[in-house]
Amino acid sequence: MLARSVGLQCRWLRVALFSAVGALSFAAACVSDARTAAAETRFVFANESDYDTVDPHVAFDVGRVAVRLNIYDGLMRWQKNPAVLEPWLAEGYEVSKDGVTYTFKLRKGAKFHDGTEVKAADVVYSLERILALGKGASSLLKSMIDPGNAKAVDDYTVSFKLKKPSAIFLAVVPEIHVVNSALVKKNASKDDWGAAWLSKNDAGSGAYQLDQFDPAIGFVAKRFPGHFKGWGPKYVDHIEFRGVKDTNTRVLGLLKGDFNGIGGYLQTDQIKKIEASGTAKVLDAESMRVMMMQFNVQRAPLNDVHVRRALNMAFDYDGFNKQILGGLVERNPTPLPNTMWGNPKDVKGYAYDIEGAKAELAKAKAKVDRPLEVHYLTGFAQSEQAAQLFQNGLQKIGIQSKVIGTPWPTIVDRFRKVETTPDISVYWISTYYADPHNWIGEMFSSANAGTFKNAHHYKNPKVDELLAKAVESTDKAERAKLYEEAVRIVVADAPGAWIYNTKWYGPYSKNLQGIVFCPIGNAQEMRTAYYE
Amino acid sequence: MRILSIIVKRLLWFIPTGVGLVAVVFFISRVIPADPAALLAGETASREAIDALRTKLGLDRPLLVQLFDYYGQLLNGDLGTSLFTTRPVSSDLLARLPATIELTLAAMLIAVVFGIPLGVISATHRNSLLDHALRIVTVGGLAVASFWLALALQLVFAMDLGWLPLQGRISGFPPKPITGFMTIDALISGRMDQFSSALRHLALPAVTLAVPALATVVRFTRAGVLDTLGKPFVDYQNAIGIPRALIVWRYVLRNALTSTVTQIGLLFGILLAGAVVIETVFQWPGIGTYAFEAILQSDYAAVMGFTVYAGGIFMIANLLVDVTHAIIDPRGDR
Repeated sequence: MLARSVGLQCRWLRVALFSAVGALSFAAACVSDARTAAAETRFVFANESDYDTVDPHVAFDVGRVAVRLNIYDGLMRWQKNPAVLEPWLAEGYEVSKDGVTYTFKLRKGAKFHDGTEVKAADVVYSLERILALGKGASSLLKSMIDPGNAKAVDDYTVSFKLKKPSAIFLAVVPEIHVVNSALVKKNASKDDWGAAWLSKNDAGSGAYQLDQFDPAIGFVAKRFPGHFKGWGPKYVDHIEFRGVKDTNTRVLGLLKGDFNGIGGYLQTDQIKKIEASGTAKVLDAESMRVMMMQFNVQRAPLNDVHVRRALNMAFDYDGFNKQILGGLVERNPTPLPNTMWGNPKDVKGYAYDIEGAKAELAKAKAKVDRPLEVHYLTGFAQSEQAAQLFQNGLQKIGIQSKVIGTPWPTIVDRFRKVETTPDISVYWISTYYADPHNWIGEMFSSANAGTFKNAHHYKNPKVDELLAKAVESTDKAERAKLYEEAVRIVVADAPGAWIYNTKWYGPYSKNLQGIVFCPIGNAQEMRTAYYE
Repeated sequence: MRILSIIVKRLLWFIPTGVGLVAVVFFISRVIPADPAALLAGETASREAIDALRTKLGLDRPLLVQLFDYYGQLLNGDLGTSLFTTRPVSSDLLARLPATIELTLAAMLIAVVFGIPLGVISATHRNSLLDHALRIVTVGGLAVASFWLALALQLVFAMDLGWLPLQGRISGFPPKPITGFMTIDALISGRMDQFSSALRHLALPAVTLAVPALATVVRFTRAGVLDTLGKPFVDYQNAIGIPRALIVWRYVLRNALTSTVTQIGLLFGILLAGAVVIETVFQWPGIGTYAFEAILQSDYAAVMGFTVYAGGIFMIANLLVDVTHAIIDPRGDR
């Protein structure tokens, strides 16, 4: 019995000893492993959004622009700030006299990553694919061109025949990212237009070629030496874009050196922390992303223009922009970004004026006899701050309100119907193309009522008429006048309140150079970047 | 025989449970106001484009039609296609599952290896300073918010001390997976540097995940041991001179572990369903963040696929707990 008990004790002792050794080995492995230094020719970016697909005709949002700009090319591309449309895969274009046919000449010798040449047939296929998939830029393009109306005139000439003249077609052409049609067709299954395959593979011609992709992490792309734009003496060999959801992890990762760049939608104190770190820097530029509140103008009491004007005067713009946001943004009094043409310079917009707001309310026929609901986007701290500040202002003019956080998918669904659209919604309108139509055209056209951009459900026949003329005209001066008139009417109607135009902030490693900001792209095109 | 009977009964219950679970989650996900067609169509989409996409995706069909369609898919082993990735949900889940399993195994290993002995020590030194200290620590472990703990560990160990990495599963972009388990893949490839890196990256998220699990294991083990120590057979063994250590670690522990094993099984099931907060803070690409994104985007197929997966895990975990229980305590319900 005693011998057996001693034996059993020894067994337990061995188990305990083994566990201790295992734990110590684990600890030793943890501490002793030397972290390898990141190679200088690698750029790692931590993004707020995940990269769950690398299909350029699906990943259309601003958050995943790195896929489109680095792995793919379009006929034209937006460059610089203010944004300018430059020829890219196309050397030039012509527009027919009736404004309906656009003919592009492709540059010769531009290659896809598999070495085959980019030809007109690939451009035609790419457009047809976008229209067929119905995602991404499809809606914009479908409003202008029907399937079957893109033609390869010859190997290097492609024409597009529009339904009617459209001033914004050229502005949207950059979103026709050209894919290698033979490669996609080869890997397509059934009628999916290669969607499953292209969601994780590369059929592009861009400056970088997809090397690794993991939808749970992001993608790595390596420099494509054969890119038609050529390369300077300095460049980054590998670019890596990862989805890192947690803001704190992104900031700490930049400071630690895990990342070389992160998304710039940060709180003021985080930007200042990065600036003070000594290991990272923050670039900045005036961008085109307007923060605003949209009022549901079809529901009482917001269907009364005097109530809406009063609301406009109840928001402390300077308090928000200069104090809460530390002066890091610019006041934007109209729905168009300050830097956009078509914005009337003489329109000063509304100012914070409590007495003025009360006077407007006194003129209103509608009585504000219920609390107004102010919805902000869950997870977006600035929209919550704006909503709370607004609530304070409303209280000063005698209006009760409720501040409600709503997730993005929910609020998008609620916008569909007037009955479910919130009284007031606080969010941003981003830049997809640098044309006034991106804002005022899509936000105030009655045909768009109930979409994300027109949550006001604003319907004004005079504004519709102006916008329709503006989008059909190809005379920029004429268009500018039409948009300016539309902006004046809209500001007077006050279907929303326009708070600030975003300043882009780009937190990067201190030794990273060559970052070029364009409002369309958010500086995520890495072709010109290099390390000092 | 008893074990076989347990397995058969549980398996038979899988079917109605699964059917009910799928139906409940299906209706909840459809009732919550969200429009995946609008999200997919993009910010610039017109109303017509959104409606056309909704029809194309079959989202405008009656709910019962969509539900029975889904049951039909499940019978063919098809979890559907993600609206957003356009890939089969099953392949998306399989790609992420190894990360979750690896993290869960590491956390449970810490919880069990340290939790059971600490529970025994706490019980055998009842009301001592050590016992009180352990009880305070375990209550703290249960009460602490996991996101706070995650951030605190990051700040101390990754930023201030620089001992451990801040996020991710390995240094640099992960290599092409063999099994998907970073540590095992590194060993298979003979890359000790990658093995070491994987372990270092695993440390902080595993410890964060382990803390509440460890606290639970300690408390249940302590309670079980205390209860068993009061049994007559222990007095008898003491009286006949069996060493105390042997009595506690061999005889008492085995009898005391039944409730602890149940908890371990349930914890395993809970953790395998994904720890969203920890995966988000440490950027651990597991099932939790996949489910979180799917819910946010109203990616119905992904939400349902995750539900089927998580429900299956729980049912299997419960089955294994019952079987283990029967092995540890063959007396059954006598």
